[in-house]
Amino acid sequence: MAGKSLSNMAAVAVAGTLVALLMIAGCLGSEGDSVTSPSQQITVTGSTTVLPIAERAKEAFEANDASAAIMVSGGGSSVGIKAVGEGTADIGMASRDLKPEEAASYPGIVRHEIARDAILLVVNPENSVDRLTPGQVRGIYNGTYTNWNQVGGPDQPIVVVGRDSASGTREFFSEFIMDKEDFIRTQEEFNSNGGIQQKVSRTPGAIGYVGLGYTEGVKALALDVDGTAVEPTLQNITDGTYPINRPLFMLTDGEPGGLARQYLEFIMSAEGQEIVASLDYIPVQG
Amino acid sequence: MKKEQAAPVPFPGFGRLQRPEVGADRASAGANRHLTDLIAGKLLFFAALVAIAAVIFIIVFLLRDGYQIVLETGAWNFLAGQNWNPAGQNPAYGVLPLIVGTLLVTALAMAIAVPLSIGSAVFVAEIAAARTKAAIKPAIELLAGIPSVVYGFFGLILLTDWIRIAFDQPSGSSWLAGSILLAVMAIPTITSVAEDAISSVPREFREGSLALGATHWQTIKNVVVPRALPGISAAIILGMGRAIGETMAVLMVTGNAAVIPDPITDVFSPVRTLTGTLGIEMGEVAFGSTHYHALFGVAVVLLFITLAINSASRIVISRIQGPQGTARPTAHRALVAAASRIAHAVSAPFGGVVSPRTSQRCAFFLISLSVVIVLAALGMILFGIVVNGAGAISWEFLTGSPRDLGRAGGIFPAIVGTFYLVGGGLAIALPLGIATAVYLIEYTAETPLTRSIRAAVDLLNGTPSIVFGLFGFAFLVIFLNFGISLIAGQITLGLMILPTIIRTTEESLRSIPGSLREGSYALGATKWQTISRVVLPPALPGILTGAILSIGRAAGETAPIMFTAAIFSSRYLPSSLTEPVMALPYHLFVLTTSIPGASTQSYGTAFVLLLLVLAIYLAAILVRRRYNREKVM
Repeated sequence: MAGKSLSNMAAVAVAGTLVALLMIAGCLGSEGDSVTSPSQQITVTGSTTVLPIAERAKEAFEANDASAAIMVSGGGSSVGIKAVGEGTADIGMASRDLKPEEAASYPGIVRHEIARDAILLVVNPENSVDRLTPGQVRGIYNGTYTNWNQVGGPDQPIVVVGRDSASGTREFFSEFIMDKEDFIRTQEEFNSNGGIQQKVSRTPGAIGYVGLGYTEGVKALALDVDGTAVEPTLQNITDGTYPINRPLFMLTDGEPGGLARQYLEFIMSAEGQEIVASLDYIPVQG
Repeated sequence: MKKEQAAPVPFPGFGRLQRPEVGADRASAGANRHLTDLIAGKLLFFAALVAIAAVIFIIVFLLRDGYQIVLETGAWNFLAGQNWNPAGQNPAYGVLPLIVGTLLVTALAMAIAVPLSIGSAVFVAEIAAARTKAAIKPAIELLAGIPSVVYGFFGLILLTDWIRIAFDQPSGSSWLAGSILLAVMAIPTITSVAEDAISSVPREFREGSLALGATHWQTIKNVVVPRALPGISAAIILGMGRAIGETMAVLMVTGNAAVIPDPITDVFSPVRTLTGTLGIEMGEVAFGSTHYHALFGVAVVLLFITLAINSASRIVISRIQGPQGTARPTAHRALVAAASRIAHAVSAPFGGVVSPRTSQRCAFFLISLSVVIVLAALGMILFGIVVNGAGAISWEFLTGSPRDLGRAGGIFPAIVGTFYLVGGGLAIALPLGIATAVYLIEYTAETPLTRSIRAAVDLLNGTPSIVFGLFGFAFLVIFLNFGISLIAGQITLGLMILPTIIRTTEESLRSIPGSLREGSYALGATKWQTISRVVLPPALPGILTGAILSIGRAAGETAPIMFTAAIFSSRYLPSSLTEPVMALPYHLFVLTTSIPGASTQSYGTAFVLLLLVLAIYLAAILVRRRYNREKVM
């Protein structure tokens, strides 16, 4: 079977290269501090909005308890709900409530509100506008206003920026501001807060909506509620004066136990909620 | 090829069979021989069955879920609907703006890329000095391997700003930005394939033309290029396929507004492509909803566009090649005559004013200019990444885990994760792909069945990678409930490269002359002995090149893994196949689009990814070069 060994040779050559590379990689890793084998392990998956909280909480939790391994991954709220409902993940993350069909499929899911997320309207720092009424915002997003001078700003076309149509953030924005009216069709769409932030920070005429943590390089607008400008400060958001905020959930199948429970308790503890606040979400405890 | 030095014989019992003619027990060796032959045949058949079943399953799966949207909204509303608004009060699922967006972005990209690429190809093949050619050609080939997310990263950072400021537009995210980026991505592919076609025009054609007193430029224009036309067409179609299938780079720069530009020539309008729609909406869509089915409908539309391109390319190539095969001289003369008529028509306005010499000077100037533009654009991207990226590289960056959402720490888990994903994908696709190709070429006659199998493989070969991502997400992650996991990513990548491996292996097997097989049979070898000792060894370099190119593609792809396997941050390496992994392209994508203040890490990740993929492509080029030298000797 010399021939067989020849066709093997191809496989061996390729596999050998890979194995060698992996071994090199493995050796490098064992020198670093990153690879130890954990004794207890849970998986957390779902919404990318909740992801930073889960990620930071995980870092802090694992720093206290070296034997724990918490695997955090994204994929979106739907993935999180499905995964926890089917039992492939221990904890699901969702930036929206369960849809009726999802609640029907997975009646055992327990929601834990771990934080709230404010949605800020942001414009380029060069823009002289610093407050808008909800009606003006709606007018901009439905295409009634197309130039900043129609809402008290400079003579400059408005570049409308928003989230993709599968996004929980957009859904919330649509219900809260737009009363479900359609967005202007030339709205540019991005699939992350960071994408919108980058776009707005680079584009003088742009307006977008992002989570509280995404204000670097952009200017957050105050909301003009009945003639008073409400700044989106932590204080105003926490006490509800700034109205655009929504709950963020972690989901478990039934009441959690073991590491999952410890992890959720950690997030709800003072230290965990401090992490929530440090990431520019709104704490729900304390 | 030295067989004896090859890997150890896997089964001790077969050792004797290496030399059946000197075996102690000839009769039993003969029996074993036939048994082995039988088993090998059955195994190959089985592998081929699995691979073909997978290919057909993917197509059926997409069609089945895509058909739902037709039932829910009606075919006309779906295909000709002008409004894509899945989240509206009255959800609308019209894909016409997405189809138009895809076609517009691709068409303009080709309008930019084709002249520059062909100019560059002509320069490299006909005008450049040997030494320049030796430097430029591999450089351009290497550039074909740059992962698309790296281009997207650049487009997002530089291109959209440049368009906004240079053309005084409110926003730079536009059709034009997408087209320029796609053109830059397609240029290396088109140039490389077109250059091969031009270089393979026999020398006598040029000598004959020059001897008749034609200038160098007249020779190129009227003799060489017309002769290379089939290859050049193939190159353009290949580049077009790449442009249509591209997801990540386009998604990052076109603005993704689902509108048809108004007026239709407004290149500064934001547009949204079919692939971009899948890329931004897949992750959050509720399983089984109308929106979910609509995304499958989009994938099916992409599948049909791929089919159309495949068929068009086959027709174009056979049209041009067909007559040449039978009556080359006549057809060639006719072509040259036609080309010169066209050239006359084009240069008619200049009439006798332009002497051949002047026109040559003008043409060569334009051709050189195109090379300069191409090299400048690609050089700028590489330079930016190397300069900014090399500074980000440190021991901690290469061996540490990410901290603070990737703004600090390293990318070690992403590097390892990429190897895991690619290694797993290859472990799935390579045995299956090679076995399938061997079975198709060596065991089957050309029948309608094999032709349709080949058509299915070709269809998947040109299918955009995001479609595989959709399949992996819907079938592996959600339906089979693997979750976002290493194994889901490996299978998805494996399926993505399977068609490529089947096709390249088939091509290299087909290039082995039938006389070799006949000779082997005449000496009494069995079918399997013939395949394993006579056919496979000389085909090996071709197979290897295909495999290495697939590795490069798998390593650089973001779209197939972002909904199946990749997580943004992990301190641990995965310890089982059910865990998610980090991967370099996805890490770069998230850093660039979602994490403010991580530009150093973005550049560093881009640099590492670039080095990795380019190293793989370099390996492919070296293998091929060595093989070519052996062939010459």
